[in-house]
Amino acid sequence: MSYLHAPRLVFTGDFLSDVSTVNNDTAHYNNETFKPDFQKPGQGATNGWWNPEGGAVFDFQNCRIRQLSLPDGTILSHPSQDPLIGQVVMGAEGRPTGKMVDIDPDAQMYSALWCVQVRICTRDNELLLQGDLDTTSFRDIQMRQTDGAKNNGQALGATWTSTLTNVQWGEKANWSPFLGRLRKTTQENKLSVNLNSFGYYYAHNDGRFSLGRILGSIGPYFSNEPVTFAAARRLYGIYQPAGQRSTYFSTSNFLVEYETNSVTVDLGASFPVENSLGAIHLNQRLYLAVSKIPVQFAPDRNNPAYYISQSDVVGIGIVGYASGNDWLMQTGGVVSLNNLPSETMRLLTDHQLLLITMVQGKPDQFLVVAREAIDGQVVRADNFVLRLDCRETQKVKFHAYQWGRPLANALIKTSLQPPTPDTPVGPNNPISVIYGNNFPQDGITFASSVVTAADGTAELQLTGNPIHSPRHYIDGQIYTFDYQLDEVDPAFGTENIVVHLRDEFETIENPVWSDIVSIMTQYGNLYPVMSKYIASFADPVALIEKKDIFIFAFSRPLENTMHMPVTRDLSEGKRQTILNWLHHPVTDDKGTSSHLQAVAKPENPVPENTPLTDNQKKYKEAVRAKNGAVAEFQVIGNLFEN
Amino acid sequence: MLHIDAIYIKKIQQSGSLAELFPMLQNAIELEHSTIPPYLTALFSIQPGKSNEARKIIHSIVIEEMMHMTIAANILNAIGGKPQINNPAFVPAYPGPLPMGIGNGLIVGLEKYSLEVVKKVFMEIEEPENPLVLKSAAETEQTYSTIGAFYLAIQKKIEEIAPYDLPGNKAYQVTSSFFDADQLFPIYTKEDAIHAINIIVEQGEGTSTSPVDQDGEIAHYYRFEELVRQRKLIKDDNAPHGYSFSGEPIVFNPSDVYPFFPNTKINMLKKGTEEWNRLNQFNTSYFSLLAGLHTTFNGAPAQLDNTIGIMYDLKLTAEKLGATPFPGNPGFTIGPSFEYIRPNEA
Repeated sequence: MSYLHAPRLVFTGDFLSDVSTVNNDTAHYNNETFKPDFQKPGQGATNGWWNPEGGAVFDFQNCRIRQLSLPDGTILSHPSQDPLIGQVVMGAEGRPTGKMVDIDPDAQMYSALWCVQVRICTRDNELLLQGDLDTTSFRDIQMRQTDGAKNNGQALGATWTSTLTNVQWGEKANWSPFLGRLRKTTQENKLSVNLNSFGYYYAHNDGRFSLGRILGSIGPYFSNEPVTFAAARRLYGIYQPAGQRSTYFSTSNFLVEYETNSVTVDLGASFPVENSLGAIHLNQRLYLAVSKIPVQFAPDRNNPAYYISQSDVVGIGIVGYASGNDWLMQTGGVVSLNNLPSETMRLLTDHQLLLITMVQGKPDQFLVVAREAIDGQVVRADNFVLRLDCRETQKVKFHAYQWGRPLANALIKTSLQPPTPDTPVGPNNPISVIYGNNFPQDGITFASSVVTAADGTAELQLTGNPIHSPRHYIDGQIYTFDYQLDEVDPAFGTENIVVHLRDEFETIENPVWSDIVSIMTQYGNLYPVMSKYIASFADPVALIEKKDIFIFAFSRPLENTMHMPVTRDLSEGKRQTILNWLHHPVTDDKGTSSHLQAVAKPENPVPENTPLTDNQKKYKEAVRAKNGAVAEFQVIGNLFEN
Repeated sequence: MLHIDAIYIKKIQQSGSLAELFPMLQNAIELEHSTIPPYLTALFSIQPGKSNEARKIIHSIVIEEMMHMTIAANILNAIGGKPQINNPAFVPAYPGPLPMGIGNGLIVGLEKYSLEVVKKVFMEIEEPENPLVLKSAAETEQTYSTIGAFYLAIQKKIEEIAPYDLPGNKAYQVTSSFFDADQLFPIYTKEDAIHAINIIVEQGEGTSTSPVDQDGEIAHYYRFEELVRQRKLIKDDNAPHGYSFSGEPIVFNPSDVYPFFPNTKINMLKKGTEEWNRLNQFNTSYFSLLAGLHTTFNGAPAQLDNTIGIMYDLKLTAEKLGATPFPGNPGFTIGPSFEYIRPNEA
């Protein structure tokens, strides 16, 4: 089950993400070339980007419950139908907010929510429901905004899917019949949750700096389901309008329910929006249909569109969206079509769902906007972002599906991407050499393939081997793995497992300041919100003065919102060494000899100009787009004018 | 000199049961809390890295006020009451009088740090029953009811009517690794309560013969006086009471302070602007803090750790407000408003 199942509630509103940005630039990690200017806001390489003093706060704002979906397809959207409508969704109370952080500057596409609490309260602040969001990272980053994002600066949207644990039902929860049903339906007292975000403001415009839109869905959780994605079928966008760099409707989850003869699609993740607030400009009639024939098309520059004959599809129904400001914010973009004929349901058991439309000049054909994954096959890794210490082993759990059912005996291939080259200092990289990733290639021991069991799951074991500063001034290395089923769907490509393998570092029992000075100085450089307002991290005396609070923060568990460092990128050895120093601070200038004997740093095995693979190029472009570093996002008038 | 309405002292004196002391201790919690936003506002106004000595002194005082608030809540819990922190009545409207009409009309506001506000407001709040004249002539007016007198009346009444083992749930007592265990300790017995009240009074006022308390720590009043005199108070055998303001200078430059607009309120800002959002974020944190403290003091003492994180959120948001120009008020930045606003009501 998933957030797409009923009983499902939809809430929408804004999110606040006060992420810090000095750490968006890999070169800023080099203490030797760091300059105070890098802590000031501004565009370009030699400054702190758009929010240098961010504190990593993530919170819900202005979020209200908009509508409720019941298993029979009924949609409730007025408080008279259930008093839950119109109630408030908020973050934590009585403890600090959740946090949003990247794992590493070389892995910025996986921004994660940590320690976020979701609370549903009455307008009088009486608790109805609360739960803790399991840590989850961005998936399905895709193009959303068609106006060029000039006001806000970010045209992309992305999805966080997760599970709410430690669910508490407030005394007044029974007051809502809907919540009663949800409570009865869900298992293990957990809930599924999905958050689609878009319209984020890098710019100080519209009073919305550091705010974005959020569309939330909460539904039942069922045992053994994945934690950070929906056990759903997937639609991939395959229409790339002429001259556009990307598809729209790029990735959408959907669910086929045979008990209720219904199809539910989450277009909240993908529906193109005209502006940062979620207005819809489109007037095109969109349909869902089942394809009678396999569709394997993926667009490229020469073939932007795929048309299918009317006789090759069975129509399901119209996607009942409405142009204007309200539809997404009212419905969350989740569309259900119910009471489908048995023939349609039968076809859906092993045929692709399509999102189609009609365009001028093609009377007998439909333009396919999005199609289901080829053969209905989907494989996803659940915990795909790992923080790994040397000699530590972690397991990644895969779930494979076909047509929404667990896919047994599926071979999942895993491969480590090739090393990326170092980037020397030059006109486009003015601060410091930036070292490549994925080397030494033997840094992680893993199996190159695993096979799914009867329940469609498989586990991949990853073991960190000792590495010694391949990136010189940043701890450890980023390793990116591609994983795939036998066939890669070209409309979606492969997905990744991303590992931050930390440098080998043995805890120092009695450290002196010089043992930790480079770690602390770097931290102070990257997080002016701490070094400016709490204590200068490059100054041992300042740290000693505040040592109680730092001992407190550095000793919080990883899953505690007050854990330091907020990015959770310190190896256990380094974290414990810092704690040891804080407990018995010695400001001597002589480091312990064992740790000053530098182990030779591994050479990057590839020369500087080694071309990136297609996936690596795409990733690099995507990071630039995510950071608002692209010159400008394209403006699209009519998506379907061709 | 701060007067307290005699009715409160009288009520304490007339109490025949511990339950009758509940509202008095609730008042004490509110009183201790009421000093924190003004002190914090002054503290937050000092720009990062500047006037560090002044910052340290105010910080040391505000931390103790937080501890006093905790002690008062512990005493209330110890005698069987329930601290009420999470309601609008808990938060004073600034500028305004302190709870219980303390101070003969002293109006306390939320203002940036200045020698004037320290002298005219903060020292007034902390003024002892008989301020010691430390190597300078000043006239003092003899009076009878101060914050200290209020606490001493509670102390006397507890001594008089409470059983040796206090009736409250022992599991509700709040302690913290951030405070010395001999200052913030669980209050189980009458003796504990008496000792705890002495700590509050002495830290605020000093003793009747010395500006330092029994631990040798300078009382709040005299720490504020250090700021006004811009000199550290140090031991001086030649001075009356053994102390004089002849220590290291406390350098303060008025330009080290953010020009907070005095007594900023969120409704002075246009809703939906970035400035409004930022102040709303501050108030949301403040609301969350009070909610967390309420939980902490009502049976979940371990929650105190969580509130410490919120205090840092408050601080960081306030620092950013300090650098945010106040639209329509040239020369001012936005002050932290410490308003009790439910996040969904803003």
